[in-house]
Amino acid sequence: MKALQIAATGMDAQKMRVEVISNNIANMSTTAYDARRADFADLHYQQVQEAGTVTSTTGTILPAGVQVGLGVRTAAVAMNLDQGSLKATNGDLDLAIEGGGYFEITLPSGDPAYTRDGSFKLSGEGQVVTSDGYALTPEITIPADARSVSINAQGEVFAYFEGEVQPQQIGAITLASFTNAMGLEALGSNLFRATEASGDPIVGEPGLDGRGTLRQGYLEASSVDVVTELSELIEAQRGYELNSKVITAADQMLQSTTQIR
Amino acid sequence: MDNTGYIAITRQSSLLKELNSVANNVANMSTPGFKREGVVFSEHVEALDVAEGSISLATAGAYYVDLTQGSLKQTNGQFDLAIEGPGFFQIDTPEGLRLTRSGSFSLNAEGQIVTMDGRALLGDGGGPIVTPQGVSDFSIAADGTISADGDPIGRVGLVDVAPETLRREGANLFSTTGALGPAPDGRVLQGFVEGSNVNPVQEISRLVEVQRAYELSQSFLEQEDERIMKTVQTMGETR
Repeated sequence: MKALQIAATGMDAQKMRVEVISNNIANMSTTAYDARRADFADLHYQQVQEAGTVTSTTGTILPAGVQVGLGVRTAAVAMNLDQGSLKATNGDLDLAIEGGGYFEITLPSGDPAYTRDGSFKLSGEGQVVTSDGYALTPEITIPADARSVSINAQGEVFAYFEGEVQPQQIGAITLASFTNAMGLEALGSNLFRATEASGDPIVGEPGLDGRGTLRQGYLEASSVDVVTELSELIEAQRGYELNSKVITAADQMLQSTTQIR
Repeated sequence: MDNTGYIAITRQSSLLKELNSVANNVANMSTPGFKREGVVFSEHVEALDVAEGSISLATAGAYYVDLTQGSLKQTNGQFDLAIEGPGFFQIDTPEGLRLTRSGSFSLNAEGQIVTMDGRALLGDGGGPIVTPQGVSDFSIAADGTISADGDPIGRVGLVDVAPETLRREGANLFSTTGALGPAPDGRVLQGFVEGSNVNPVQEISRLVEVQRAYELSQSFLEQEDERIMKTVQTMGETR
């Protein structure tokens, strides 16, 4: 009875969809979170009878064959790379990226990681770090006697000092872009790692070659659209129920078969 | 002599095949670009020993692909493409050219437009579509023309083919033995994905129908069994 297994793959797929939706809704307030979507594909087909089989000596052929489908699988959980809306926070070190690109971060292991979460803080040594304390690459240190910091759209960081009118440039923030940003591997904590699929990072000045520009005092909100997620949730739940109905029907048919004698 | 039983059994085994096809349709109700399958029952005529006598056995002779347009779902993805109207995307696989209506594409590390399984989408010239590096704004027009920051870089090649030559390959792909023709009536929509064309109401009513028909042939078999038993008993008594 293939129908039982086929319906089970369907239930599995809808369950996966609910898991992705629940993770999206849980992250509806996470800074710079990209909504995910489960993409499905049908499984292999058993070719019981090939279309085009010759059925007579006069050369007539079968117009359509018999192919039995075996269900569904999850092909990918893809990120929706839409720009999230910008939220004003007025923080000096809160940066939102308008357009594509990622901030480069150095993990404690020394490996690079990438993020769009621009809620930076200062470490005890005055270094610009993420909320988890990982340093921004290239390293930028704000002098202790700086009055305020201003960061322009191209990533240049200026510090204002007491008694001076002209600000001094103390560094520049670069952004990394990827040929296929969907191929990045999520590490949690809003961080991503480059993979074979994403290609190597292309690092450079914000605003050039498809990289977005920076906006100080803003954070990028989560791109989760709750209305879409809820309607998806309803669809997934009903899909799950429908598949379980198929299992019930297949079960009852098997039952009536075993009751012949 | 047992023809009655055989006829009921062919009916039942065909109904099981139909159940599998219902199960596969329902399992794929959320698969982008999925086209529902239907079963065609056909009569297999068997000659009997008696003059001009014959019986027909029911067999699930063929599965057909229902190419009705699926509903379009807005995703806003840059490389999410839906086809409105007839036509298929051409996909390059190691096994040869494949067709699909599932339009959730992305870029790979080389900048080619690929399916979620990493197979390249082919342009109207027959080669993969390579996007230039450092461009983040792509727009795709209704005729399939792809522009990177406003400059056309290629065109998605839609093809049409006779539906009866389609063969399902899994992974949302079809292969074909038929001749590929242009699909002038197919329009490409960016930011949308075509959903599955499985209609849950229709599938559930098919499910009920299959189940009841199965039970019917079941009771038919039971009655036949009783009849034979009675015959045996009656014959035994007269002796």
